[in-house]
Parts: sequence; structure tokens; C-alpha cells
Amino acid sequence: MPDMRFSPPNPIRIADRVNGLNAVSVRSHNERLVLALLLQHGGTSRLAIGEKTGLSAQTISVIVRSLEKEGLVAKGKAQKGRVGPPTIPMSLNPEGAFSIGISIGFRKTEVVLIDFVGTVVVHKTLQHETAGDHHVHPDIFTTTQDILAELSVKRRIRVAGIGLALPDLFEDSEPLDRLRKQLESEIDLEVFLQNDVTAAAGGESLFGAARDLDNYLFFYIGAKVHSRLILNHQIYNAASTKPYDVGLLELERGLGSNAVYADELWERYQGLGNFDAALAEWQKKCVELIKAKLAELGQFVDVTTVVLSSYIPPEICREICSYLINDTTNLSAIVGGLEVAPKAVGAASLPFASRFMT
Amino acid sequence: MRSVLCFGDSNTHGQVPGGSPLERFGWAERWPGVLQEKLGPDWRVIEEGLSGRTTIRDDPVEGEFKNGRRYLTPCMQSHAPLDLIIIMLGTNDLKRRFSQPASEVAMGIGCLVYDIKELCPGPQGKVPEILIIAPPPMHDDLKEWNAIFDGAPEKSRALALQFEIMADSLEVHFFDAATIGECDPADGFHMSAAANLALGNALAQEIEAIGWAGAQ
Repeated sequence: MPDMRFSPPNPIRIADRVNGLNAVSVRSHNERLVLALLLQHGGTSRLAIGEKTGLSAQTISVIVRSLEKEGLVAKGKAQKGRVGPPTIPMSLNPEGAFSIGISIGFRKTEVVLIDFVGTVVVHKTLQHETAGDHHVHPDIFTTTQDILAELSVKRRIRVAGIGLALPDLFEDSEPLDRLRKQLESEIDLEVFLQNDVTAAAGGESLFGAARDLDNYLFFYIGAKVHSRLILNHQIYNAASTKPYDVGLLELERGLGSNAVYADELWERYQGLGNFDAALAEWQKKCVELIKAKLAELGQFVDVTTVVLSSYIPPEICREICSYLINDTTNLSAIVGGLEVAPKAVGAASLPFASRFMT
Repeated sequence: MRSVLCFGDSNTHGQVPGGSPLERFGWAERWPGVLQEKLGPDWRVIEEGLSGRTTIRDDPVEGEFKNGRRYLTPCMQSHAPLDLIIIMLGTNDLKRRFSQPASEVAMGIGCLVYDIKELCPGPQGKVPEILIIAPPPMHDDLKEWNAIFDGAPEKSRALALQFEIMADSLEVHFFDAATIGECDPADGFHMSAAANLALGNALAQEIEAIGWAGAQ
């Protein structure tokens, strides 16, 4: 190798030791690999990181130290094995980065702030005056501003960006335009846009129950039921974007009262009593829908896992999952790991995916 | 059986702080010995600590034997194959007689790394793992050594960053001893028994973290 000992050092990765995120806009592929690995498997030793990524020990050493100095990863407690010195597990530092997620829904808009491991730190719900599509709540911008203003300086400089999740066919409107411009210019954070259900699936893949799954069928139960196909970590939408009618609106119809909204229902879930029959019937309808979709899909792809995501109580989703498993062979059905505002958390995961992950 | 060479100065020799150069900690007390204990029987720890050793400088007062660069190559050849080479030097480069900034001391470390990569004393003639350790910073009061180390304490606080920049640049491992120990105020620049113990323990974990594939 050419002898370069005469030249000054060229440190590739040593971060400017400033507080806050590394100013380097193009984070190296290897750094992203390590971060993505630690997101999937917290508590991994440097040795195991090397084994799983195939990177050399020196590269891991340099990357881990650099990410540690940046505050993105942290050492855990040393664990004594049977032989040899203790191993040190590395994990993502939850305080390492934060992100804002905004999700515009049918009846409400959710705004969340999540930390680097996907925990919801702040959650605000803005009720729409009237339920309906294409409604841009007037308080979205100020709510976002307020959340950021409440953060300590240390946390505020670690906010990676804002994710905005919109439903299918959301109309371009003057209020939406204004919101985007405001977010981009007045808050000085990058804004990422995505379809809301795709965002929810993305959030599930990053932080939720699906993080270990390469392939699965994703169902989001909201006012209506939506689905996405995830193949090799890529999220696919159906050609027809019409959602399925077996959603919470359908459940409300089944309960026989237009005034009882699903939200109130969940508050009273503990002693549902006379709702039980209607609920069970609705759950069976969900199961039939999912089975039908799986059958259609089965012609083309072999998918053996279904992930169910919703903001309704997870027990209800778990019941749907067990009905499903009983009724089918060779199928795994799990409840999504994002229990609070899954679409908003999915939106919030967009800046992270863009800036830190592969 | 894997082997690790610990190449350093009086802080590797185990010189007792505030004592004469003839007083050294026992094998089990100085950090290479602690390291051997922690790594266990699958490793052989080879200590090569010379009091007064510099990275690459002939010492006009103490002689050219103190120049780490002159000694390193035949030393590596004597102990090859080596799986890991640990270098902890820099303190003596800060003596007033050399008048070098911390960055130049790091250049000296870099020079040694180049020598290692040139010789390839690792298993199967490959480059071994290399670990650079920044010594703990010196105290401001070095007692009777103040004149000899005039200006050194401040520079010694800059060594860690300069060494880390060099290590990143050459893609070798780095460890800052200041994270686990400090120099003994008895003379201000030699590591105490406690610091030796802490260093040996910490290095065992660092070495394990490097990862060693397959059977020895």
C-alpha cells in the first residue's frame, strides 16, 4: 500500500463534537446499516453487529464510537458470559433523536412527538368539527409549534423532521398548502409527506411488531379497513385505492346507533355487556374480509403473516387474530405494536427513515 | 492461543508513581497483567513497556534506545504472529526537549501504525488488529518533573482527541484511558494501581468487543 505517513490525518467519521445531530447530510451506508440493525435488535454487542452486518471490527469500532459521541447509540450494562470478559450491549439511545408526526384522519387529526425508539412522548388529538374527508384542522400548525416550544434545548436540536400523513385522494386545498408552507418555512424542519396507511405500515415495520418481518399483509382498521402488502420490506398499495367497508363505521352501524362513536365505545369497553353480540359479529366480518384478501393474494404471493393495526383496544384486535388463526392453516396473525395513533407514529417515522436508516 | 503485544512506556512498565524508576508494580497489578487475568488462558499477553519511550523521537538525554520506532519492528518480529498490538505512548513526547504539539505526537503514533501495517506481523502474514490508547492526562503539578515536562499538562489533555482523529483516519481501534482512570498526584504523570486495574479490565472488554472469528 502507498506510504502516506507524511500526510495529515483524514478522519472519515469523527463528528464535530457539537451538541446535536451530525451536520453531515449524507450519512454513510455503513452507519445506516448499524443504526437499522440496532433498531431491530436493541442490546447487540459490537461482536454481534460485526457478524450480522459483515463489517470489519475496525469499521464497527469507528462507527459505534462516532454514533456514541453523537448521542445516537448508548452502551448498556456489561453482561458476564460463561467465559472471557463481559460483553457490552449497544442500543439506540431513545433521547438521540425526535420526530413530529401529523396524521389527518376522518374525524380527527393526531399530532405526536416520538423518540428515537418510537415511544410516543407527546400526543395531541384535534377533533374535527364535522367528520369527513379533506379537512385541514386550523390548529395543526400551532399545536406543532407548541409541542416543539415545550421541549428542552437538548431535545429540540435533536428533532429530525416532520412527517405528514394524508389519506388517499386528499384534495389539494388552500388550507393544506398553507399548512405545508408554514411548517417548512416557520419551523425550519424538513417535512416528509406520505399516504397515511402506508405511513402506518412503515411505522409498524420500523418500530412495531413487524420489525422482524420481511413479508406480511398489513390491515389498518380505522373508520374503514385498509390494507397494504409488504414484500421484502417494500410497501405496496393495491391498484384500486378504495378501502373496505368493514371498518369502525360499519361496527357503529351494527351497534344500531349513529350517535355512539367508536371512541366512546372504547372508553366504555370494560363493561360492554349488551354490545358483545354486535361486536363479535363485526369481528367475524373482519375475519372474513381478511381471509378473502389472503385468498386473492395467495394466487400470486405466499404471505404467511398478517399484521393488524388500529387505535382500538388491542384485546379486540387480538380476538380477531385468534379467530383468524383458528380458521386458517399456516398463518400467523399479530396485533400491531403501535397502540397509540399508529398513522401519526408512522408519519413521525418518515424523517428517521430518511435520515438514519437504510 | 491468541497473543497481544502491549507496547508502551513507564505506564506500561508499571512504574510506581512518585517512586524511583526501579520500582514497578507487580505483574498482577500492572495493566498488562490485569489484562492477562481477565482475558484468560486463551490469550498470551506480552508486555513491552520501557520507561522514557517516545513514539518516534531519539531522546538526546536518555538515548536513541528510547525511540519507540527503532525498537518496534524487531520487537514485533520477535513476538510474531500477533493478533493484536496495543500502543500506549505519548507522555514522553511531551517533554520540553522535544517541544512538540499534541498533533505531532499523534503523527508519531500514526508512523508506528504504518510500520505495523508494513510489516504485517499478524497471523498468516496479515495486518493485526491495532489499538491505540490515549494515556490519562497529566496533572498540572508534576513535582520535581515540572521543568522536564514544561508545558506538557495542557498538551496531554489534547492527546485523546488527536489520537482519536489519527485512529479514525487510519481505521484502527482507539481507547481513551481517561474514561476509566487518572494519573496519580504523587508525581502527576504515572498511573496509580487503581488506574492500572481499571485499564486492564476495560481493555479486556474492548478486546472482546473487537470480535475474534473461529477457533484460535
